[in-house]
Formats: sequence, structure tokens, C-alpha cells
Amino acid sequence: MARLELDDVRKVFTDDDGSDIVAVDDVSVDIADGEFLVLVGPSGCGKSTTLRMIAGLESVSGGDIRLGGRSIVNKKPQNRDIAMVFQSYALYPHMTTRQNMSFGLEESTDLSDEEIAERVENAADLLSIPELLDRKPGELSGGQQQRVALGRAIVREPEVFLMDEPLSNLDAKLRSQMRTELQRIQEDLDTTTVYVTHDQTEAMTMGDRIAVLDGGELQQAGTPLECYHRPANRFVAGFIGEPSMNFFDMDVEGDRLVGDRFEYALTDEQATAVANAGTVTLGIRPEDIAVTVGSEATADNEFPTVVDVVEPMGNENAVYLGFEADPTNPFVATVGGMRQLDADERVVARFPADAIHLFDGATGEALHNRALDEGAEVEPRV
Amino acid sequence: MRDILSSTRTRLRRALRGGDSDDDAVTDDGRVATDGGTAAGGAAGAAGTGGLLDRLDERIGEDFTESAVFWLPPFLLMGLFVYGAIAWNFVISLTDYQGFVGPDYSDLDFEMYVRAANDAGVIEATVNTFLLVVSFTAVALAFGLVLAILVDRDIRFENTFRTIYLLPMSLSFVVTAQFWLWMYNFNNGVVNILLGTVGIGPINWIGNSQIVLWAVVFALVWQFSGYTMVVYLAGLRAIPREHFEAARVDGASTLKMYWRVIVPQLKGSTISAAIVLMVFALKAFDFLYSLVSGYRPPNGTDILATKMVREAYSVNNWAYASAIAIILFLMALSIIGPYLYYQYSKGEL
Repeated sequence: MARLELDDVRKVFTDDDGSDIVAVDDVSVDIADGEFLVLVGPSGCGKSTTLRMIAGLESVSGGDIRLGGRSIVNKKPQNRDIAMVFQSYALYPHMTTRQNMSFGLEESTDLSDEEIAERVENAADLLSIPELLDRKPGELSGGQQQRVALGRAIVREPEVFLMDEPLSNLDAKLRSQMRTELQRIQEDLDTTTVYVTHDQTEAMTMGDRIAVLDGGELQQAGTPLECYHRPANRFVAGFIGEPSMNFFDMDVEGDRLVGDRFEYALTDEQATAVANAGTVTLGIRPEDIAVTVGSEATADNEFPTVVDVVEPMGNENAVYLGFEADPTNPFVATVGGMRQLDADERVVARFPADAIHLFDGATGEALHNRALDEGAEVEPRV
Repeated sequence: MRDILSSTRTRLRRALRGGDSDDDAVTDDGRVATDGGTAAGGAAGAAGTGGLLDRLDERIGEDFTESAVFWLPPFLLMGLFVYGAIAWNFVISLTDYQGFVGPDYSDLDFEMYVRAANDAGVIEATVNTFLLVVSFTAVALAFGLVLAILVDRDIRFENTFRTIYLLPMSLSFVVTAQFWLWMYNFNNGVVNILLGTVGIGPINWIGNSQIVLWAVVFALVWQFSGYTMVVYLAGLRAIPREHFEAARVDGASTLKMYWRVIVPQLKGSTISAAIVLMVFALKAFDFLYSLVSGYRPPNGTDILATKMVREAYSVNNWAYASAIAIILFLMALSIIGPYLYYQYSKGEL
């Protein structure tokens, strides 16, 4: 187990016509010993490339990767003491589960056959798959194959686990089960883990910290709640959270924001934060929007709206609201699952001042983040 | 294929069960009527006139007789000209047919097989055939595998290499034989000239009965390893990249990765390539024939095929040649049979 440091790691692919494509652009992250870091971002953001560079499956174009203080950039994958779980599991189809799990130990260590057998059986017990040891991957279900792939990594007892979207081939029910189990196993083993996913539920629930990537650049690295409540920029704010944060482009006019469809009154503190920006993006999470029925929009920051579509989820309803004046481009608010709202109903939406985020209109940098109750946990849990 | 067979089987069984399964048959016909629309006629016929076709329909099922137009002609042609010929050949091998008088079918025995078992020439030819088949197949597979692995490593001009390696396959055996005859020429063949520059030789490749078989194997390997390469390349491409990567992350060296993870997954490619190569090796007659333009191949390369043709057309030992042909056929069958069974047991036949 060791600390894994990524120092200005860069990956440039050269296209056939000689042009360069920057897949990973100077990413720096420190992953503490035993930490669970989730790399998250949309497709093509460079998260898998980053993981593959740590594994040694891609060469590094610039920067350094250090494991336990020593650079591993020039080491071959087989000498890096890492174990990887692939999205497709990549189980060797001609070997039984037992052989699949022993393979890495046979190749990378000089343990005796008995020791290898013991480790394999311990790992199989940990994953509750001892009865699958003599079956071949073709005879296993997707979930079972996933466990075997995990077991193959666990028996190695490596310095670092690398996981490339390991749960994305499972159905939703199994995925949430395995998510919990994976977390439990990682906590038991206390092995440094880098986990790549595009699924932000996995990112929020599993990681000690998450690193959000977009376009090859690191947008923010922090605890899940930090990224949720204190996004560094508009991209992180929009990427983390489901349904996504609502964004409105506004012009700054003193202590008011003026948009196409509504005006918003800022507090003094907020007005100071946006004083130097010409345009800002106002962001508000769907669950922060207060929806009231049957009253008039009287106070500041209350807006008359019309319900466009209601998506019932059981525990909550996602309500798409259009401004009464201009009902195109509705925004989304979530209300309790017991609230009855119907399409075309007229409701009042209030954007509470302490819940809004403000981002620079040009750069997307966060200028102001929402207020948090005292003691709200955004610091690392470790 | 299997589905058709099993449905035919159930139909047969139903037909054989007879009267008490009539209800069953009617519902079955009713179901057919919805797609085919001909069931009513069939059912009426079965109950009524009872002509030959109707009775066949009743016994085997309509699809069987209706589709006969398509499968019967090739079935008959194949049966007559392939299996009929084999059977006739076998019968001839039981006679004492030789010279210009026709065969006498009244006196059938296995005399020719006894004679073959005691004929040093046949035994030598069998050994040579066996050596040729085994060594050629093994070397061509190994060489093709190495080529495929090298070409698979994302090299530049991959398609060009693939074409270059595959090209010899497109040549006829006759061309290859003539070509290698010149290459192996004792005085001015390329092989001896090249070896001469490093101080070896000259070697009498064709004349030396100890090495001529291996010279032939080498020429055949040259011609067929490109084919093996293409088969293996397709097999390699079907293996997900992650298997290579997983093996590397698991700590396997390149050699171990191929040996333990990749090559075992090429079992299917190996089997199908091996079958083709073996069959070609058994047919090496044309290569040897064109090497010397005659029935007597170079000393040390006599295989069953050349021996058979020589016995038949040089000395008119028709029955004896037929017996050798049957031996050769059984050898080929012993290769193909297990393969067909393997395919069948995997449900691919």
C-alpha cells in the first residue's frame, strides 16, 4: 500500500495526419495511502487514459507518476505492483475461476503453490464465491464474473487497485449491491484505489475524494460533498448531481441580475462577489427551488411559473417549470413524492438567496457558492 | 440444421405413433396452415385418396417432400459420384483386377490389403505420408502463429505484409514445385548459392533421399504459412485487447502472456487451420508429380498418393491401387472424423 502521486501528467496522441490530440492535460492529484479516489467525467474526458497511464498500458507524454515516492513512469506494467479491474472483466475464458485468480500470483510472485491456493481461497471467501472456483467464465453470470474479476485483483495484494468502470456492465439492482460491497472490501483491505466511472452516483457514494475531469483537464478534486456544494466551476456544478443544476445566463446590474426571463436580487455579499463580472451564470439545484401552489409571486426572487411536465420518481417528483412570460426552456425543480402537481398548473417558484451559485459568465469559475449550515460536512471523511 | 433434424425426428415419431396422435397432427397442421396455407389440402389428402406423396407427407412431414426438389438432386449427385465412387473403389480393391481385362466381382477378398501390409514400398510411403502430414502441419502452424503475432503488434504496413505472406497461397502447386526445383538446383539454385556464401554446401536437396522430404516440407511450409497466418490473425483479432492488458498488469512477460493467455484461446483457429493443412499435405501428389514431371517422385518422397497413382497407371495394378486409395481415405477420415465430431459436439454442425 502506498501513496500515489500524479504530477502534471500529460498524454498526447498523434493522429495519422500528424496533428496532436491532448487527451490528458497536466493532471495533478495526490492519492493518499488507502484512499479511494474516483475519477469521474463525461465520455472522452481522459479519465480512462489517466488510469491506463497509471497501469502502464499507455505511455506518459509528460509529467511524472510516483508510487510510494518512486517514479513508475518507465516501469513496465508487470513491474508496477498494481492490479486492474476491467470494464469487460477480461477473464481468461479458457481458465477456471481458480486459475484466473492464481494467474497473477504465479506470474508476479514466487509464492509456493500452497500459498497461492490459500490466498485464492481467502479471496473467494471474502467475495463469497468459493463454489465458483472450478467453473469457467463462460458458465458464470455477469455479476459472478464481476466478482471473479475483483477477486483476481484482490489476491494480488497490490499497492494500488485500478478499476475501470467495473460496475457499468451490471444491471441497476446488482450495481448498487456491488457498489456497497466494493466499498466494504476496499475499507477492509485499505488499499489505495483509483476508480474510473462516468456514473455520478458511484462517484458520490464510493469515493473518499472525487476528481472531476473534462476535456483532459482536472476541474476539481475534493470530497464528494465539496464537489456537490462547493463546485469550483460551472462544469463540476452541472456534472455532479441528478437532476442537474439549473443554469441561467444573467447580466450584472449593481445588486441585481437581469436575464431574458427574470430578474434576481442579490445579497450584499453576492453583489460584491460578482462586482467585477459583466455576465454571470446563476445556478440553483432542483431540490433548492421552493414550489408553492395557489399564492401570488409577491416577494423578490419569487417567479410565477407553469408546470410543463411532472416526472414522478416515487420518493420525489421532478417538475419541469416554464416561466409564465416565456415558457420555453423549462427548468427543473424537485418536490416531495406526495405533492400533487399537474401539467399546466400555475405555481410560484422561489430561488432562496442562500442556495444559489454564481459562476463567471466567461470563464465558468465559481464566484459564489451556496451558504451551508454550520457543521455541514464537506471536509474529508478520513 | 439441428433444428430441422429434430423437427423431422419429432414428425417421424408422431407419424409412427399412428392413430391416437391424430389430434396432435391436426393441431400441428392447423398451425402450419397459418403460414403455409397448404395444410388443408394435405390433411384432406391424408384422409382421402392416400396417394404415394400424401402417404410420404403423412409419414415424414410436408416440408420433407416439398423441399425434395432442392435437396434431392445434389443428394443424388453427391451420393453417386462421391460416396458411390468410394464404395465402388472399395469393391474393386477386394477383387484381383489388374492389366487390361475387366474386374471379376465373383471372387472378393482382402488379399490386396494383406499384400499392401507386406509391401515395403507401401510401408515406406505410409511413413513418408505420416511424416509429411505431421511435420508440415506442425511447422506451418508454428511459423504462421509467429508471423500472425508479429503482424498483430500494430506494425506499419500491416496490410502489405499480410498480402505478401498470403501471396504464395495463390500459386498453384505446379508453379511452387517448379519454382523450388530451381531454388534447390544443385549447381546454381538460390538456396545453395546463399548457403555457399556462408560456407555451407552445396547440398543436393532433391537427390539426397535423407533430406529431400524435408526440402519438400519446407517448400510447402513456404506456400502455406501465409494461410495459417491469416487464420491466426483473425483469431487474434477476436481476442479482446483487455486480455492482453490484463495479462500484462497481472505480471506476465510477453512470452508468458502469449503462451498462457493468448495461444490457448486460439484453439479453434489451430484446429481449423490444421485440418486444411493436413488435407493439403495428403494431396501433395501434384507437388511431387510436377517436381519430376512423372509418377516416380524423388527417392525418399514416395507418399501414398504417388504410390497409388503409379500402381494404377504405370503398372495397371488396379485392385492394388484401389486398396492403397482406401488406406489413404481412411487416413484422411481419421483426421476429418474427430474434427467433425468436435464441431458436432460444440453444436456447430
